[in-house]
Amino acid sequence: MKGEDFVKAHDRVKDFDWKASYAEDPDRYPMAYKIPAKTSDPFRHLVRDYCSMERDKDDRQYGAMSDVMARAKMPAKASERWTEVLKMVLPVTTYAEYAAMKCTGQLVDAVDNAELRQGYLAQMIDEVRHVNQEAHLARYLAKHAPDPEGFTQGFRLRSTNFITRASRAAFDGFFAGNPIEGALNLQVVAETAYTNPIFVTLTEVAAANGDQATPTTFLSVQSDEARHMANGYATLAAIASVPDNLPLLQRDFNTAFWRQHTFLDPFVGAVYDYFQEARGGSYLEAWSEWVADDWAGSYIRKLEPFGINLPSGWAAAHDRIKWVGHTAMMLFAASWPMQFLRLDPLTAKDFDWFEKKYPGWYGHYGKFWETYAQMADPAEGQLPLSLFESLPPLCRVCQMPCVFPRPDISTMRIKTHAGRKHAFCSDGCEYAFSIEPHRYASNHTWDSHFDGYELGDWLENCGLLRADGKTLVAQPHLDRARMWTIDDIRAQKFEIRDPLKDLPAQGAVAVLA
Amino acid sequence: MNAPTSDAAAKTARDFTYIKAQRRRLTEYEALTVHMQPDQGAFDHARGRFEEPEWYLLRSDGKPLWDPASTALRHPDWYAYRDPAQQWQRTYVRHQEQQETSIDRVTEDAALDGCLAELDAGWIGQMLSRHYRAWSFFEYAIFRALAPAQREALSDTLGNVLCFQSFDHLRHAQDVIIYLVELEHHSEAVDDGAGKEAWMNAPAYQPARKFAEEIMATNDWAELMVGLNLVVGPLLQHMAVSDLVRRNALSNNDPVAAHIAMTAERDRRRNLAAAQALVQMVTATSVPEAEANRAVIQGWLDDWTQRALAAGDALAPVFAAPPQPAIDYPTSRAAAHRATRQLIDELGLASRLGASR
Repeated sequence: MKGEDFVKAHDRVKDFDWKASYAEDPDRYPMAYKIPAKTSDPFRHLVRDYCSMERDKDDRQYGAMSDVMARAKMPAKASERWTEVLKMVLPVTTYAEYAAMKCTGQLVDAVDNAELRQGYLAQMIDEVRHVNQEAHLARYLAKHAPDPEGFTQGFRLRSTNFITRASRAAFDGFFAGNPIEGALNLQVVAETAYTNPIFVTLTEVAAANGDQATPTTFLSVQSDEARHMANGYATLAAIASVPDNLPLLQRDFNTAFWRQHTFLDPFVGAVYDYFQEARGGSYLEAWSEWVADDWAGSYIRKLEPFGINLPSGWAAAHDRIKWVGHTAMMLFAASWPMQFLRLDPLTAKDFDWFEKKYPGWYGHYGKFWETYAQMADPAEGQLPLSLFESLPPLCRVCQMPCVFPRPDISTMRIKTHAGRKHAFCSDGCEYAFSIEPHRYASNHTWDSHFDGYELGDWLENCGLLRADGKTLVAQPHLDRARMWTIDDIRAQKFEIRDPLKDLPAQGAVAVLA
Repeated sequence: MNAPTSDAAAKTARDFTYIKAQRRRLTEYEALTVHMQPDQGAFDHARGRFEEPEWYLLRSDGKPLWDPASTALRHPDWYAYRDPAQQWQRTYVRHQEQQETSIDRVTEDAALDGCLAELDAGWIGQMLSRHYRAWSFFEYAIFRALAPAQREALSDTLGNVLCFQSFDHLRHAQDVIIYLVELEHHSEAVDDGAGKEAWMNAPAYQPARKFAEEIMATNDWAELMVGLNLVVGPLLQHMAVSDLVRRNALSNNDPVAAHIAMTAERDRRRNLAAAQALVQMVTATSVPEAEANRAVIQGWLDDWTQRALAAGDALAPVFAAPPQPAIDYPTSRAAAHRATRQLIDELGLASRLGASR
C-alpha cells in the first residue's frame, strides 16, 4: 500500500466507534477517570502490516533457535551459573506477559477511542506472543540445558515459591484494578521503566555468559515494547489532559510505581548481579541509566507540565536501590532448598567485583557468603537458614520479605487491621493497603500457608525432589558429586515458622539485624 | 560443563510433565499455552494450610481476578479445554499473514489486470461502499466484545481462542477499508461514508446495529463464544458476507471482495470448531453440571437466533441491490437456516429454526 493510502486507511479505522443507541454500555470496569475521545496512536497499526512484521520476527527467532543454536549445542555451552537462574526468571516474566494480555483486554473495553483500541489489540496479540516466546525458551532449555530440573517445573511452582508468589502480587496489578490503574502498572512503569534493563541490558549479561537463546528471545520481545510504551504514553496523555483526573492519576501512579519497584528491583537486581560468571556491569549501573536517567529523568519529567510528577516513592526507591538486590539474594540463598535452581557460591573474584560496584558490600553481606560457601557441602550438615534466629515476615501487599533495604535499616512495621495482623515492608506498601484494604483480604503469606511444616515434608509436598525421589531439585552449588538429598534435609529438623505470629501487634521491629 | 552424571538427573524428563496432554504426546500448542493462567482452585493451589482459593490482589469491587460467575456455564476444569486448531501466537500470526498477503496479491493483480477498473459502479457504490462497509462496523463490534471476553475467560486455552477471534474480526473490518482505499484509484463510485451512514440510519441495518450493540454489552464470555459462532456465523454472517458479498462478488466479477470474504469464512470455520469443542466439553456426560449447562446453552441459542433472524431478515432489500444478483433473499435465508439448524442438531441441542419450519 502506498504511503498516502496507508494514511487514508488509518484515518478511516479511527472512525469505527459509534454512539450506541440500542444498548447500554455495560461499564465492566468502573472507574472515576474521564477518558477523552481525542488521542492518537503514533504507530498507526493496521493488521496487515502487523502480521507481516511479526511473522518475520518469529521466523528469525524460532528459526535461529531450532536450527543453528540447537545443532551447535549452544545452550549446553553457556555458563551454568547463569543458565540456572533462568529457571526462575522465565516463569516470572511469562506471568507478567500473561497479565499484560489481560490488561490490554480491559483497555480495549474501557478506552473509548477506536485508534487506541487497535493499538491495544496489537499489544494484546504481542503479549500472547511474549507468553509463548518465554514459555518456549523455558521448554527449549528443559530440552537442551545440562540440568533440566527446574525448567520442567517452574510454572507448577508458582504458588509454592515465595519469590514467584511475590511476582504474582506485582503483576496482578496489571489487571486487577481499573484499566487505567492497570495501564499505569504495565505500560507506564513496568514496560517503560523496566523492560530496557530486563530485556536489553540483561541480555548483554546472558550473551557474555555464553547464552545466545535468551538474547534471541528477549530482544525479539523487546522489539514490540516501543509500541507498548507509545500506547502507555498515549493513554497517559489522554488521561492527563482532563484536569479532574490528575489527583487520582497521581495516586494510582504512586502505588503502581511502588508495587512494581518492590518486586522488580530486588528480583532483577539479584538476577543481574549474582548469576554473572563472566562479569560486566552491575544492576545499579543499568538501573541508573534506564530507570533513573531515561525513565524518571526524561520520560516522567517531560510529563510535569501536564501535572504528573515523579511518584511519591521515587526518592525512597532511589535510596533503596543500592541494597535491595543484595538483601533479596541473601534471603534467597539462605533458603536455597526451597528454590528450584542450583546456586553457585561466590568466589574471591565475585567478592572483588561486588565491593567495586557496591562499595561497602562486604561489610553487610560478605560474611554471609563466606559462610554460605562453607555450608554448601551436605557433609557439613548445615543450612544457612540456621544462621538467622528468625526470618522476616512477608509483606501483606508485595509479598516480599520485610527486610528492605537492608536488614540493619529495615523499614518493616506491623499493623493490625480488622482483627488481622499484617506486616508491611515500607511506607509505600502500607499506603497501598490503606487505600483499599479489602483487596488484600483473601491473601495469605507463604509463611502462614506453610507454618509448622517440617522442611522435608514441605519439599515432598511441593514436589521439589528429582526423579530418584530423594535428591533435591535445588542445590547450593553446581557440583553434581555433592548433591543434597531429602535425608540431609530431614537431619536438620528445620521447621517453617510464620514469624508474624511471634511479633508484636503494632510497631517497627528489627529482624535479621 | 559435562552432561549430568547422577542417576537422578539422567532419568529426568525434559518436557513440561505437569500438563495433561490431550493426546499421547504434548503438543507445542499445549506446552506454550496450558497453565499460563493461574488456577487458584487446582493447579496453582498452594496446598498449604488454607483450602480456599487465594488471591494476592482482588479487584476493587472485592471480586477475584478470575470469577467463576463470569459465565453461567459450570465446569470442574476449564483448563481441560483445547483449541481444535491448536493455535498459538506463531501459528496464528503466520496464518493471518498468509491470508493478508493473499488478499494483497489478489488486489494487486486485479488492479494491474484492469479488473478493478471494469467493476460496475453499482456494485462498488451499493454493495462495497454501502453494504460491506456497513458490515465492517458489525465486525468491529465483535472485535470489541471479545477483547474483554478474553480477559475474563476462565482458562488460558479459552482466553487465547477468544483473543485470536477478536483479532480475526478487526482484520476483516480493516480489509474492507483497505480494499475501498485501493478502489478509489480505479473508480469514482467509491463512497466511503455511505457505509457508516447506512449503519447508523438505514432500516436494513438497524436490527444488525442493535444486535452489535447488544453483543458489545454481553458480559458472559462463553455466551459470546457460543452465540457468535453457532448462531451469528452460520446464520447472519452467512447471509451478510458469504451470500451478499462472496457469491455476489463472483457474479459481479469482483475477485477481491470474494477473496476477502473467503478468508473470513476460513476464520469462521476455525471459530465454529472452537465453540463446538466448548459445547461438547461442558455437556459431556462426565460433567456433573452437564444438564444445567445444556439448558443454559439452549437458552442462549434461542435468544441469539431470534436476534440474528431479525438482523438477517432486515437485510432482505440488500439482496436486490447488486447489478447481477447471484442469490435471492429467500434462498439465502433458507440455506442459512438449514446450516445453522444442522450445526445445532449435531450438538444434540434444539434449534428454534427447526421448530419454526
